Amino acid sequence: MKSILNLGAIALLAALTGCAASGPKFAEQQAITPKLSADQGRVYFYRVNSMVGAAVQPDIRLDGAVVGESKPGGYFYTDTSAGSHQAGTSTEATNNLSFVLDKGETKYVRTSVSMGLMVGHVKPELVGQEEALKEIAELSYIGKAAK
Amino acid sequence: MHALCVAAALLLGGCTAPVHHTPVSLSPSATAAAPVVLTHAVTVTFDSGYTRPLNAGSRWTHVGTVAQGAVYRPVGDVFTVEGAHIHEAWLVLDKDQLVGFYLPAERGFSPLRTPLSLHLQNQG
Repeated sequence: MKSILNLGAIALLAALTGCAASGPKFAEQQAITPKLSADQGRVYFYRVNSMVGAAVQPDIRLDGAVVGESKPGGYFYTDTSAGSHQAGTSTEATNNLSFVLDKGETKYVRTSVSMGLMVGHVKPELVGQEEALKEIAELSYIGKAAK
Repeated sequence: MHALCVAAALLLGGCTAPVHHTPVSLSPSATAAAPVVLTHAVTVTFDSGYTRPLNAGSRWTHVGTVAQGAVYRPVGDVFTVEGAHIHEAWLVLDKDQLVGFYLPAERGFSPLRTPLSLHLQNQG
């Protein structure tokens, strides 16, 4: 009985570990992150590491195009034009966030899991820079490799 | 019991009411204004039931006017309103009353059902 429990615990740990993001941490990645061009804005997307709803990892869309994935412990960024934008995720429900971006501005969008009927909902929300940088510092880069 | 199940289904199913807004034209300020500071914290409750704090000490800059009042954008922070979805929002004040929000992405005005008194003070 004890060995079955041990095996179960190992399997659970393996499953949860497999859900979390892996990659370079923020400080390491920032050293090779290209500078933002003057005519664009940058949007960071991130999700803090939590076991709650860890298996729910929907795509993140920006203005309808997939730009990455909502993954616990992961972050990425995308550079885009100044103006109005809409970020969104879909599981059993779609959750959207609308915001504006100025030229040279950086904004931060945190995704988090909330309870749903069958599947958790992943909500994108705008976060102030000070709070976002504290949270992102611990996370792993899951975006495209810098050129 | 049935009503409770329906309420739970609505809550969990994400059927929260959308943030209502009407198109509005923002007339930008001619000059850059010095930020003002909120002297007392207040909590804003939206029609959706969601709430947001407006912290004492938060800084806001006057960016223009809409028909409903003066528009203030947060300085060094962000503010949003939430219903079925989340929208970046700036404050709209008629004198010292918070009457609603300017949604910059939608270029819309979302009214606050019950205006709130805000105390904004010039910085410095």
